[in-house]
Amino acid sequence: MDDYLIGVLSNIGVISFVALSAYLLLLTGEISFGQQAFFAIGAYSAGIATAMWSWPLSAALVFGAATGGASAALVGLPTLRLHGLYFAIATLAFAEMVRLLFELFQYQVLIDGELVGPNGADGFRGIRYIFQNDISALQFMGLIYALLAATLVGFLLLERSVLGVSFRMIGEDSVLAQLQGIAVARHKVLAAGLAGALAGIGGGLYAHLTTYVEPRVFDVMLGVLSLAYGLIGGLGTALGPLLGVLIDIGLLESIRALAGYRMIIFGGLVALLLIVRPRGLLDERVVHHLGRLWHRAWTHMRMAPR
Amino acid sequence: MIDFVQNTIDGVMIGSSYALLALGFTLIFGVMRRLNLSYGPSIMIGAYLGTWIYVQAGAGPLAVAAAVVLGAVLAGVYVERLCFAPMGFAAGIASMVSSFAIWMQLEQAAILVLPRHTYPFPPLATGAPLTLGPFLLRVDHLIMLACALGLAAGVQIVLYRTRFGLALRAIIGNPTAAHLVGINVKAAVLGAFAAASALGGVAGYLVLATDQQVTPMFGMWATMKGLIAMMIGGLGSIPGAVLGGLLLGVVEVHSQWYFGPQVRDLVAYLLLFVVLVVHPGGFIGRAPGREGTMPEQRA
Repeated sequence: MDDYLIGVLSNIGVISFVALSAYLLLLTGEISFGQQAFFAIGAYSAGIATAMWSWPLSAALVFGAATGGASAALVGLPTLRLHGLYFAIATLAFAEMVRLLFELFQYQVLIDGELVGPNGADGFRGIRYIFQNDISALQFMGLIYALLAATLVGFLLLERSVLGVSFRMIGEDSVLAQLQGIAVARHKVLAAGLAGALAGIGGGLYAHLTTYVEPRVFDVMLGVLSLAYGLIGGLGTALGPLLGVLIDIGLLESIRALAGYRMIIFGGLVALLLIVRPRGLLDERVVHHLGRLWHRAWTHMRMAPR
Repeated sequence: MIDFVQNTIDGVMIGSSYALLALGFTLIFGVMRRLNLSYGPSIMIGAYLGTWIYVQAGAGPLAVAAAVVLGAVLAGVYVERLCFAPMGFAAGIASMVSSFAIWMQLEQAAILVLPRHTYPFPPLATGAPLTLGPFLLRVDHLIMLACALGLAAGVQIVLYRTRFGLALRAIIGNPTAAHLVGINVKAAVLGAFAAASALGGVAGYLVLATDQQVTPMFGMWATMKGLIAMMIGGLGSIPGAVLGGLLLGVVEVHSQWYFGPQVRDLVAYLLLFVVLVVHPGGFIGRAPGREGTMPEQRA
C-alpha cells in the first residue's frame, strides 16, 4: 500500500471515532454539535502523556479516553434537562469554550534541549511517539482499525443488550422510558461519558497520527460533520456513521480532480440525499430488512438437506 | 468610569449588529422551529455580490446595499427550497444538517467567484465621530442602532398587526391546523424565509459598511453571533433578540477591555452556556417545554 492510501485510510479510521461518538448520542435522541471537544481533550491528554511524561502509547490512549469520558460525563450533568435544539447549542457553546481555552493553554517543558508541549494558538508540536518507537504508518493504521473493530463489536453487543434497548427507548420517548422504570438521567450521563471516551480515544490516535495538534482543527465544522456522518450513513446501525465517513472522505479524496468545486458538489449531494432519506442510507428500515434477509438465508442454509 | 461608560456605549453599538442578525434568525426559528445554519453564509453571498459590483462597477452605497439584500434573499430562498421545503415540519435534524451542507456549498461558491482573502466594502458614513461630553459616537454605529430598533419594531408590527403576521403565528401554533383553515403554509414559510434573509442582508450590509471589508469568515461569524444573541435573549421573541444582541455586545466589549481579545469570544460562549443551563428559555423566551424541543421529538 502506498503512503497516500495509508494516510487516507488512517484518517477515515480516526474520524470514525468522532462520528461514532455523535452517533451514540443520537441513539439517546440527543443532537450534539460538541463531540469535537472531547476529541480535542483526548488528543491533548494523550499527546501530553507520551511526549511530555514519556508514557507508553497504550496508557496514553487510555488516559485520553478517560479524560474525554470524564469531561463529557461532567458536561452531561448540567445539560441533562436540555433537549433538542437547546442541547445542541449548549454542546456547541461548550466545545467552542474548550477550543478557545486550548488557544490560551500554555504548558511546555524542555526535553532534549527543545521546548515541547501545548503552546496556545500555535498548537502542540512534537508528538513523535510512533517515530521514536519505530512504528510504521501501516502498523499504526492496523492499531487504529483494530481499536475501531473492537468499538464496532462493542456497538453490536450494545444493540443487543438491555442497555442499548434502554438508550433507544430514551431516544424515542424519554418520558415513556422513565415510566417503564428506566433511570433516564443515569443512562444519559452514561451515554455522554461513553461517547466522550470514544471521541477521546479517537483524539489520542489523531494526535499520534499527525504528530501535531492545533486548536483550530477542533472547530464547529468537525462537530457538525461528525454529526452529519451518522445522518448520511444511517441511524439504523453503527456501520452508518462509518459509511458516512467513507462517503465524505472517500468521495472528497476521489473527486479531488474537481478541486474548487468539491464542496459545492458534496454539499449539494448531502442536501439531496437528506431529502430522499431523512434518516440516512442505512436507516432502521433498511437494517431491519437486511437482518431479515440474513436470517432467512441463514435458516435456509441450516434447513438444507446435507 | 469614563472608559466603562464608553465601553458600554460601544457594546450597545456593536450589539445592535448582533440584534439585527438575531432578528432574521428568530423569524425563521419562530416560524419553522428549526435552525437554519446557512443563514450567515446566505448573507455572505449577498455581501460578495455587493463587493463585486462595488469593485467592478464602482457602484454607490445604495446600489451595494440593494445588491447585498437581493443576494441574501436569493440565497435564502435557495436554502429554503433545498433544505426546508422538501422535508416538511417533521424532520428537524435532517434540515439542520442539510442547511450545514449548503453552508459549505455557498462558502465554496463565494470563494470560487472572488478568490482573494479580503475585499473592500464601501463605507456608509465617513467623517469624524460625534462627541457627547467625553464620549465618542460613530455615525455609522448610530445608523445601525436605529435600524436595529426600527426593524425590530417593524417585525413586531408585521407579526401582530397584519394578516401575513397572523398567518405566520397560526403556523407557529400548529401548521396542520393553519393549513386546514386555508392558510397557504408553503407560501407563508417561503415569505418568512425571504423576509428573514432580507433582514439578514440589511444586517450584513451595515456590519460590512462599518468594517469596510469582506472575508470568507463572515458567513460563520454571522451565523454564530446571530445564534448566540437569539439564544441568550429568548427563542422566538423579537424583543428578546434585540435584548440578547445588545447584551452580547456589551459583555463582549467589556471582556475584551479587561481580559484581552482572546477571552472575548470565550466569555460570549460561557454566557451562552450558563444561560442555557440556568434558564434555557433565555431572558425573555419561554421555558423549554415541549415547545422548545425539536419538532421531531414533539411528535
